[in-house]
Amino acid sequence: MSTQGLYKYHDVIGLLSPAGPGFSGPMAVATGPDGMLYVANRANPNQPDGVRITRCTKDGDFLDQFGVWGEGPGEFIWVTDFAFSPQGEVYVADEHSHLISVFDRERNFSRRFGEQGSGPAELDRPSGLEFGPNGNLYVVDTLNHRVQVLTPEGEYISQWGSLGVGEGQFSMPWGIAIDAAGDVYITDWRNDRVQKSDADGKFLMSFGSSGDGEGQFNRPNGIAVDLDGDIYVCDWMNDRVQVFDQAGSYKDVLVGHSGMSKWGRTFLNANPEIERKLELASQNIELKQRFYRPVSVHVDEDGKVYVADCYRHRVQIYQKL
Amino acid sequence: MVSTNTDKPLLAHLLRRAGFGATFQELDRYSQLGYEAAVDELLHPERQPAIEEDVLERYFIDWKESRNIEGALTESVYRMNAYAGGRPLQEKIALFWHGVFATGLAKVLHEKTMLNQIDLFREHGLGNFRDFLLHLAKDPAMIFWLDNNFNHKDAPNENWGRELLELFSLGVGMDGEENYTENDVKNAARAFTGWTIDDDNVASIPFGKTPWLFRYLPEDHDDGEKTFMGHTGNFNGEDIIDIIVKQPATARFISRHLYNFFVADDVQVPAWQHTPPGDPEAIKVLEEEYFRSNYNIRSMLRVLFNSDTFKSDQARFAKVKSPAEVVVGTLHLLGDFKFPKRGIFEVALGCRYMGQDLLNPPSVEGWHTGEEWIDSGSLVERVNFVADRVSDIAQPGVRAMVDTLLDRTVELDPVSVINGCLELLGHVRLHEKNKEHLAGEIRSMLDQRSGLVAGSTEERLSAENTVLHTMKMIGSSREYQFA
Repeated sequence: MSTQGLYKYHDVIGLLSPAGPGFSGPMAVATGPDGMLYVANRANPNQPDGVRITRCTKDGDFLDQFGVWGEGPGEFIWVTDFAFSPQGEVYVADEHSHLISVFDRERNFSRRFGEQGSGPAELDRPSGLEFGPNGNLYVVDTLNHRVQVLTPEGEYISQWGSLGVGEGQFSMPWGIAIDAAGDVYITDWRNDRVQKSDADGKFLMSFGSSGDGEGQFNRPNGIAVDLDGDIYVCDWMNDRVQVFDQAGSYKDVLVGHSGMSKWGRTFLNANPEIERKLELASQNIELKQRFYRPVSVHVDEDGKVYVADCYRHRVQIYQKL
Repeated sequence: MVSTNTDKPLLAHLLRRAGFGATFQELDRYSQLGYEAAVDELLHPERQPAIEEDVLERYFIDWKESRNIEGALTESVYRMNAYAGGRPLQEKIALFWHGVFATGLAKVLHEKTMLNQIDLFREHGLGNFRDFLLHLAKDPAMIFWLDNNFNHKDAPNENWGRELLELFSLGVGMDGEENYTENDVKNAARAFTGWTIDDDNVASIPFGKTPWLFRYLPEDHDDGEKTFMGHTGNFNGEDIIDIIVKQPATARFISRHLYNFFVADDVQVPAWQHTPPGDPEAIKVLEEEYFRSNYNIRSMLRVLFNSDTFKSDQARFAKVKSPAEVVVGTLHLLGDFKFPKRGIFEVALGCRYMGQDLLNPPSVEGWHTGEEWIDSGSLVERVNFVADRVSDIAQPGVRAMVDTLLDRTVELDPVSVINGCLELLGHVRLHEKNKEHLAGEIRSMLDQRSGLVAGSTEERLSAENTVLHTMKMIGSSREYQFA
């Protein structure tokens, strides 16, 4: 159970793997238009074969994967986030090449846009991506400390934000969520806070400060809003996910309760000697259940909360009660 | 404008030894502080700002996990470079202890646990040697490296006990005498039974690696009576360390290591039993400070850096740079990789190609130093590594050096170009013969092009190229390979 008892641990999907069933440094998780779970894998700089987007069922059955490491069309190096357009296309941000790549509903590469810079429609290490109800693409433009609003074709519409600590200013923002009303939530990463604005960037509210207490953050990144308006924030360096109500008041915290995944069980059944070693590692059991750098959170229509547990190569799932 | 403060060559010498060299801007700042204050600052890296760990982890998302050797090497070299400006001695002392307490991934096979050991060197490497040894005895990488997880009450394993005495504290012998007996080894090993790790070599899957943790198992500890170096009791490992640190041989051993690393190349460690120190007076001073300061490494280094021996002209450029010094020193000079970007691994490999495979020393004895760093292959790697980079105007540090030199120059002449480059590259020295040869080459270049600096765009570019060529030639010189 979560600390306040509002969420119950449900399941885990994951296994450290550079391909097929498994993840490698999952950076983003979301439900696709086909109802399946999509997970973007960053891998690490020296394991390029692990870079891909995995598609699986919410029960943890592997379906397929798309996208590979590289700088050519349909490839990416440092994947940070992805978002689905109203038409079901997948937009993928790559903060190495400063590009956003678009894949069609069948996950075939379609097109890409973006170039490094600070001008309109230019990007400097893009991270969070989300589509608004208006069909526009919102891009967190991290090193330009701003949010840009683009058409689905990548044409510039508007922007807000600059480097600073004031309202509407950011310091290396990372994650983004948009609620049903079109209001935008940004994790203001190095300012340890969340800022909420309307669809045009007009400041509405902020919450959070630096620290590890309730409602405090140590470099927040992934963020989501559920159908009730509750806000979920990956409190990255505090290794937890905090839940807030619509007003930004603290409600609950998830810390990770992972068991063994279906993929992991299959692996251990085939490698019993590794399971024996794992059982010996008694001091580490607590560590093995908990989040280690949760980076992305997603809530589906059933109230299931999916957390990309990046350094543990898994997605932990909670059920909202 | 570069100041002509006469202390700068000395400060440059200090920074080459206590760090990885200094940029001309850093030397300006240190010269304002003065030598002794600079030494004090270097000895207290904890007073300087930490690097932005969150930003590093933000982009190198495997920073904390380091699940392969490539990631671990990347982390190691990136961190050395990132701290080369602000906390150089923190990194240099970690490199020093990495060579003394040489532990390697060839056996440990757990990158994060190895990196945790390097962090231990950073954190405690300038502190009390007794406490440091105790931390080392509990370090999971060391325990696994020297099989202390197989050192049981009923079946002792002497590997750690032996190396603790032979390579980590006393040394085999000094002044022609043995420093310990086989019985001392056996009893030291017995005292460390039960000092183990929680989970040995847990596989990286299903959910990635977790760092190994120290664990003491009292039921596996031999609590019987032991005699060690003339003392008898029901010793545990901590008691053994308490006895070790009081030995004159330990003072000698640590002093020779510090001298060899920071002052001048000595013979290799196995020869120390029968080969007296090259500078016995300097070693004696360090030994005395070891005891006076209650085994404090920082105090020993303060004495060392402030000594006439260290500051003497004879000590300067008397050491062959280690590959890590070549690579990190060059990166620091260039101002490269100050913000996370891809490519550091390929650069870090330079250390391996030059003969220093960081995190993977050739044996528990560490790397042989001095002239043994150099062979025909490694020399080519060194020269190419430096020459290609110090002449790359796209690097911010190179751009700053070129602009600084040209901004104070009206018309280039061979001597001022060479002297200016030598100064900006860290008060490097060239033998007169090489200087004359280089001057002749530059004179030939200037005969065919304008030496004017403030002329047309073409003339400015021509002047820049002349300076870059000079820096490349200096970077290619034999002298540049010495610290």
